[in-house]
Formats: sequence, structure tokens, C-alpha cells
Amino acid sequence: MKRILPIANAIIAVASGLLVLLGYFFPGIFGGIQSILIGWAIVIAAFALLFGIFNLAMVHWKKINTEGQNNIYSIVLLISLIITIVVGIFSGPTGTWSLWLFNTFQVPVEVSLLAVLAVVLAYAGVRLLGRRPKWYTILFLATVLLVLLGSVPLFLIGEIAPLSALRSWLSQVPAVAGARGLLLGVALGTVATGIRILIGTDRPYGG
Amino acid sequence: MTEITCPLCGKPNPPDRDVCQFCEAPLKTSGFIASPDDQDIFTQIPTPSSQPDESTEPGDQPESTSSLEQAIPDWLKQTEASFLQPSEPESEEPAPDHISEEIDSLLNLVPTPSDEQKPAIDDEWLASLLAEAGVGELAQETLAAEPLQEAMEAEETGEPGLTSEELSEEEGLLPPAELEKPEWLSDMEASSTIKLEGGMQPSESLHIEAPAEEKAEKKGAEQVEVPEWVGKTSFGEKPPTPKEPETPIVPAEIPGWLEALRPSREEKVSPSKPVEDISAADIVTAGPLVGLRGVISAHPSAIQARKPPTYSIKLRVTEEQHARVQMMEELLAEEQKPKPLPSKPILTYRHIIRLVVAVLLILPIVWMVVSRSQQGPSPQPSNVPGVVEFAQQVQALPAGAPVLIAFDYEPGFSGEMNPAISTVLTQLASKNAYLSLVTTTPSGPALAESLMKNVSAGALAASSAYSNYTDLGFIPGGTMGLLGLAASPRTVLPYSLDGKDVWASEPLNTISSIADFSAVIVITNDPDTARVWIEQVGPHLQTQDRPLLFITSTQAEPLIRPYYQAAPSQVQGMVAGLAGGLAYGGTVGSPGQNGLWEALSISITVSILIILIGSIVSVVFLTLASNKKKEDEERP
Repeated sequence: MKRILPIANAIIAVASGLLVLLGYFFPGIFGGIQSILIGWAIVIAAFALLFGIFNLAMVHWKKINTEGQNNIYSIVLLISLIITIVVGIFSGPTGTWSLWLFNTFQVPVEVSLLAVLAVVLAYAGVRLLGRRPKWYTILFLATVLLVLLGSVPLFLIGEIAPLSALRSWLSQVPAVAGARGLLLGVALGTVATGIRILIGTDRPYGG
Repeated sequence: MTEITCPLCGKPNPPDRDVCQFCEAPLKTSGFIASPDDQDIFTQIPTPSSQPDESTEPGDQPESTSSLEQAIPDWLKQTEASFLQPSEPESEEPAPDHISEEIDSLLNLVPTPSDEQKPAIDDEWLASLLAEAGVGELAQETLAAEPLQEAMEAEETGEPGLTSEELSEEEGLLPPAELEKPEWLSDMEASSTIKLEGGMQPSESLHIEAPAEEKAEKKGAEQVEVPEWVGKTSFGEKPPTPKEPETPIVPAEIPGWLEALRPSREEKVSPSKPVEDISAADIVTAGPLVGLRGVISAHPSAIQARKPPTYSIKLRVTEEQHARVQMMEELLAEEQKPKPLPSKPILTYRHIIRLVVAVLLILPIVWMVVSRSQQGPSPQPSNVPGVVEFAQQVQALPAGAPVLIAFDYEPGFSGEMNPAISTVLTQLASKNAYLSLVTTTPSGPALAESLMKNVSAGALAASSAYSNYTDLGFIPGGTMGLLGLAASPRTVLPYSLDGKDVWASEPLNTISSIADFSAVIVITNDPDTARVWIEQVGPHLQTQDRPLLFITSTQAEPLIRPYYQAAPSQVQGMVAGLAGGLAYGGTVGSPGQNGLWEALSISITVSILIILIGSIVSVVFLTLASNKKKEDEERP
């Protein structure tokens, strides 16, 4: 049984991958089974999300029972989770009480985080040159300032066209080139990983 | 009665005893006393008793004293008797003199050839052995020819030897035994350290005892056959010449302690058993031997339970040592005390700088939002890429057309993206488009519903709430979910959030794939999410020439724009950030910006100033600090 189970897992995984992949090349032949397999995967992913929520609750429950200090955050998390679930069950995911919770707590908290991030980034820009007076630090700060100057019309000054063009070039050529390079690397890694899984070399499902 | 002195311990014994009453040493079986060295000499001499015949069986060898006496030849017994006889007239003398005389008699009697001849005659077994070997006559001839031969050798070598007259004189003065004294006996005499009483020489005793031995000579001196070993021993030795004076025996030097132990001549040692003085011994007080004196107690004191002795643990130290100990204790106590951490000040310059930066950022924004001032022009649609195309695609939608809108952005980006979203939803609502709301983030349904309510309560406040939409909810599975949605939205999202089968009624009953929607609008702040939509859903839309439109954040715009600028483009329209939303609003005639653009403008301007001024100040302080450090280092 210990030998049969890993082999069966590998066969199932490789066959599923090959059928989904063939569905891209031959949608008329393998499109149907591709849709079935993808539907199964979506259901499993949804269950995994629920299981993740349950696991999160259990972890913080153990943390409350074992640790004496710094468990206030776990208590808050569990209380918030319970309240949200209860409200969602009775009010519905888009009910009035659910939207009230969402607009009152979640949206302001996330917006505030981004606002604090803006302040922190500005403070970091102030101290950066004082802590690391290197040439690449100066280059980094100069780029930041150029992009900011070209993003919006400056207060009481207005738009500076050359800076806007320079900002557009910086964001579209060097930044996108770097990002695309990263994406190409990720894509190549994904292809290699997919091939290894399809031929059974990598078995993340065990065995 | 004459007492017999023990040859071993030197104590007198009654004559009727065979063994010493003190040391149990035999008194009559052994005829002489020899030192261990002398005994070794005797044992080295091949005697008949010490060199038994090989034919003799091991069982025949004497094992007890009586058997040893039987094995002793007669001549040796006579010698023993002669050793014991002289002690009788000298019984009055002290014991050490007896020992000296006995040793002297032993030295004179045993090794002489004349004495050997007599026991050789008497001893039948030795005589028979010699007769068989035929060495008796040869020994006599050799004995007779030896002096002549030596004289001849002396004449030939020219050495002063003895003449015949001298030989005759020597023969007349000295007995044959003196001439033929074996070397081992001479060595024994020389090695003897016992001083003979009165300086008596062994030769004199020989003269005295020689007549006593004439009886044995008469019995058959001619028949005496000296054993071969005796002859060989005596032939190899050069007889001492009368001219050579006898080396007197040097008196032995007895150590003082031995002299002290030596009993005096006047003192008569009376045999008595050793008596132990137990008067001073302890009396046993415990155990089975209680009451006895001088015995080992069966109740040893080592195991007696007693109270252990107490020792004082107080250390004797001097005043100086005590002071040093106190000093060391104080030092250790100070080391063990936890040093309090320096208290952090509530407000440091870092906190102040942070507060200043925050205030400088927040105050202008608040002032601009509150004042609703509009200092500059809003962004123009022609200056923002993708806005015009987006507006054209929306305008091209037929009335009541099904539109799929994906709310895949985080609530934190609401401030940046909501203006554009509200404008687009209002335009779509004006066209009475049927909106199908989906999301790939857990917070998407609530965000979508909230926006729809805001749109209904805001832009469409004049009329009733807009209800021509359905919220299909969350699509799990990420990329797989989007692929499934593209292939079969009915399978992935069969029901709306309120539990209705929206696919069974119009207008979704005509939808079998995502390409059946008139347009797909994706609202996201994440470039990866946008890429997944483009890669998984875009191909399905391109088959039906359906537009894929994006409302995105400023940070994701650079990565989405290549899809928009591609040819053929994979993204048909794009509204990015606050500038794109305001520009799109300008195209559709939406109400004013409410000071958002000015607030963004002043906040960015302030941010630039803060970073620029702060960097300059930091460099100045750094330079000053480095100069001060250099000055401190240069100081001696």
C-alpha cells in the first residue's frame, strides 16, 4: 500500500496536468474534461480557504490558552472573526450589517495603512541620504523626485512637461523592462516546474 | 651431664635429645654448621650423596631424616662422631668456643685424603663403585707420582722447586692429608671469618688428630681407593708448601648490636618459654570474649556507634583578610545587580521629524479637501493613455447589455480608484447595462455592493435605486477560477449571493461563456491580477471581439499599459489612478473633483520638498559629524 499510493498519486497528478494542458491546445477534444477538472480544483480551493480560516482560529485559540502575554491580539482576532461570521450568516455577505462592518472597520483601516505608508516613505526618504550617502542612494532619490515631479502638476507651479515626459519614460521603459524581466524569469521557472511535475520528477503532493 | 649445643640456635640441649628443644633443629643427624655460602660450596662438590646414581629410582631417594641417616656413609658418620667427641671435654667452655672448635674440626677432618681413604674402605658401596671403575690404584699412583712430576717440571722450567730432600722433609713434617688438601677446603678456610681460639692453625689440629686416624689407616691404607672426584679435586690443587706461611684467620669483626645480643660467657641461658607480658593489655569489655585480657576483641571499636566528633567550621581570618573578603563581596554584589537601562525619552528627534512630516502631509490635504479649492486644471483625457478608448468602449455598449465587472482591488485603494469606478458605474447605469459583479478577493463582494449602493444613492439619486445588476460573488481558485469563469461562468458561479439562479433569467440566460458578455471591466490595483485576467480571460474575449477594459491604480498602470499599447491590443481601454478617473469624468461630464486633484498635487509637492530639504539637512549634519569625528581623532 505504501508503494501503490504514491504511484497512484503521481499518475493522477500527471494525468490531470496533461489533460488541462491539452485543453489549451485542443479545446474541442479536451475542453470538456478540462472544465470538469478545473471545477474540481475550484471546489478544493474554496474548501482550502475555509480550512485555512479554521486553522487560523485554532492557532490563535491555542495561543490564548498557552501564552500569558501578548495574546490580546489573538483575542481580538477571534472576537472579530466570530462577530463577522455571525453577522454574515444572519445578515448575508452583502447585507446592511455586513456592509456597515466593512465600511466602518475594514476600509478605513486599510486606507489608513496606506496613508501611514506615505508618511513613512517620506520620512525614509529624508533619512536615506544621511544614513547611506552612496552614489546609488543619490540615484534612487533623484529618480523618486523626478517621478513625483512628473506625476502631477506641482502646487502653484503647474505641470512641467519635460518632467512629465521623463516620468513617463522612466515608468514605461526602465521600470517595465525590469518588471518584465522578472516576469519572464518567473514564467520560465513556472514552465520548468510544470514540466517536472508532469514527468513526475517533482511531487509536491507527496510520494 | 654434657650438654649438646644446638648448631643452629647455639643453645645448650640435654645429651639425650636428638633435636633442639628450642628450635627443633637436629642435633645428631648433622655434623657441622655451615654458612649459606659454604653450603653452596658443598653442594657444588659432586659427592655421592648429592650426585646420586642415575640408575637409582626416584622412589629410592631418602625423603625423611631417618632415611637420610641411612643414606649417610659410614665415614661421614665417623666424621660426625669425631665432630661431636671433642665437644665433650670442652663442655665447660661457652657455646661460641664450641662452635669454633667444631668448625675447626670440620675443616681438618673432612677433606683430607687420609681421612677419605678410611671411609672409602669402610663404605662398601663406594668401594664397589671404585673397584668397578678401577680408579683406586690409579689414584694412588697418581698421588705418588705427582710431587715427582712437579719437581721435574720445575727443573725443566728453571723455577726454584723443591728438591727430593725438601720433599722428604715435607713428607716427614706434614701428613699426606695436609699436602693433598683440596682447593675447596682451602677456599673454605680462607673464607672463614671465625677466629680460632688461641691462634690454632688447622695444620696443628691435623697433627693432633692424625694419630687418631691411624686406626683407619691401618685397616687398609693401601686398599683405600679414593673416589675419582676426590682425586681429581686434590690433583688439580697445588699443595701448600711448608715455606709458604699459613694465612692466619683474621678475627671477625662482630658488630656492636650482634655483640650486645651475644650472651655472656658467665651467663647460663636457661631454656624457658617466651612469656608475653599482658599485664598492661586491655581487658575486653564487650563481645563473647568479655573479661579476657590481651586478646583481640571480637567487638571492634571501629564499628562502634559513637557520636562523630564535631569540628568547628569557623574560619579563622585576620582583620585584613576579613576586609578583603568584604570588598570582594561588595564588588560581586554590584556586578549581580541589573543595571537599569537608560530610559528612553518620550520624544526624540526622530519622533519629532515623523510628526513634522505627517503634519506637513496631512494639513494641506485636509485644507484642500475642506476648501474644495481648484487652483489648477483637471487632467485632460487626451493626456492620460487609455481613457478615451475606455470611454469609447463604454459608449459603444448597447442599452441593457450584460457587462461583467470584476472588483479585484483592495479597500485601501478606494480613495484613488473610487472616483473612476463611480464614474464608470454611473455611465453604465445610464445605459441601463446589466451588471454582473464578480470578484477574486474575499472583500470584493462587500466592496462591490457598497459601491453600487453609493452609485445608486449618489449619481442616480434622482431616480430609484439601481437594481439591474447581480452580485455573483467570490471566485475561488485564483487563476484556475478565472480560467473556469472564462470557459463556463455558469458552472463556476451558478448562483448569486442572494441565492438566485440568475443564469435562468434574462439577460444571463443567453450567457454560456465569458465571451457572451458585451464587455468585461476589471477593477484591480494589482498588476499580477490584471495579468491573469489578460492571459486567462482575454483570449476568450478576443474570439468574440469583446473589449477587456481596466480600471487600475497608478502603481499598476505601467505594467498594464504594454497590453494596451500592444498591436493588436489585449486591453482595449484603461483608466489608471486618480488622474485617469478625473480625466474619464471629464469625458462623460461628471461633477467636479471636489478638491481631490489639488490635494494630491499639494501632497506630492510637499513630499518632494520634505525629501529634498530633509536630504540636504541630513547631508549637512553628516558632514559636520564626520568633520567633528575627524577633529576628535586628530586630537592627541
